[in-house]
Amino acid sequence: MELLIVGGGLAAQRCIEVLRAAGDDRPITVVCDEPVRPYDRPPLSKEGLHGPVDTAFRPAGWYADHDVGLRLGAAARSLDPARRTVTLAGGERLRYSELLIATGARARTLPGVPRAQVLRDRFDGERLRAALAGGAPLAVVGAGLIGLEAAAAACALGVEVTVIEAAPRPLAGILGPRAGAWITALHRAEGVVVRTGVTVGRDLGDALELADGTRVPAAHVLAGIGVAPATDWLAGSGLDPSGVAVDAAGRTGLPGVYAAGDVTGSGHWEAASRGGAAVARALLGRVALPGAPSFFWSDQHGVRLQCVGDPRGAAEQITSGDLASREFELDHILDGCTTAVLLAGRPPSAVRAARARLHTEDTVTTRRAA
Amino acid sequence: MSLIARIEEDLCLAHGDCEAVAPEAFRVDDVARVVGETTDDRLREAARACPAGAIVLFDADSGEEVEV
Repeated sequence: MELLIVGGGLAAQRCIEVLRAAGDDRPITVVCDEPVRPYDRPPLSKEGLHGPVDTAFRPAGWYADHDVGLRLGAAARSLDPARRTVTLAGGERLRYSELLIATGARARTLPGVPRAQVLRDRFDGERLRAALAGGAPLAVVGAGLIGLEAAAAACALGVEVTVIEAAPRPLAGILGPRAGAWITALHRAEGVVVRTGVTVGRDLGDALELADGTRVPAAHVLAGIGVAPATDWLAGSGLDPSGVAVDAAGRTGLPGVYAAGDVTGSGHWEAASRGGAAVARALLGRVALPGAPSFFWSDQHGVRLQCVGDPRGAAEQITSGDLASREFELDHILDGCTTAVLLAGRPPSAVRAARARLHTEDTVTTRRAA
Repeated sequence: MSLIARIEEDLCLAHGDCEAVAPEAFRVDDVARVVGETTDDRLREAARACPAGAIVLFDADSGEEVEV
């Protein structure tokens, strides 16, 4: 009943935690290409840019104490689902009875600007922190969550920061125009230069020339332009390299093979946490929990943003506070139903209340229409 | 006022922020659990730190939920 986990991030840790908390004592081996024990990533683009933070999930001795073997600095190279083996970079073959694929995702690199760094692991974080400590200007390409958080953290250090986004507004893949305008205003009020609707033309060494001919100071460049599931080692296994498809229990189509986290294309921290726990439940023979609304949070310029539900494609409507302030709730309405709520600077009770009104009839608009 | 904390287990995703803020009161394994007592201020700080809003605080005397 040996469980092999490939990847040592949040999904892996959560699976282990839930198994051990349930008293399950099957042998577990974790194969992780990073040379350090599992750690949490959200601080890397936040307080981790201001100073070193230890984000390890557990002390070094915890794994041995819980009969979890850590194979750090070991990359998986291939999966043979018929023989139930995983082959490592050095050629070693590991057998499994159950396998959890949790290799996460890799940050996309910026074409044409090879010196641009990404922010995905703790070593990326240390490199960026060292760069920012010099105080020279930073250009952030991509106004997604990572880019915006890093821009805010750099700005707080007194670094001159420019955010460059090809879409017409920040977080355009997730949020609508009102939320995007608010985020732009928040960053500008704090001194971040936000350039939207424009792409990077060429690298001038200490600046970036944008497609419209303007120049942006860029002693350092951070690319936050998305991630791709880390599936290269799964070539030939029969699993989809664009994201391993799983059911509610984390099962892939292969016998004994599960997947969780970013490798499934799920995206946010919460999905990886739920995914890892779901696999543990399946291994314990427990029924899968019903799907939960998607959720993400972000800290930027001292404001906590929380989003419950899926806001894509919905109309935005203020239900509390106002967009000129740093405290509001922006409901997202699609077909007369509240599909998501974006909260800024709101207390925990408001987040719980927002969850409760998801997928209920949008009472505000309905009342107005009546 | 004296506060009591409760974890909404279906909301808790084990972020760990409560334990980071007040390890004397919270421990996170598969989910967060209340394991001890601390001051009201630290309970409020932990509840605010939780990204999922999974910590609910109650007034120990009245039993009423308290806004953090």
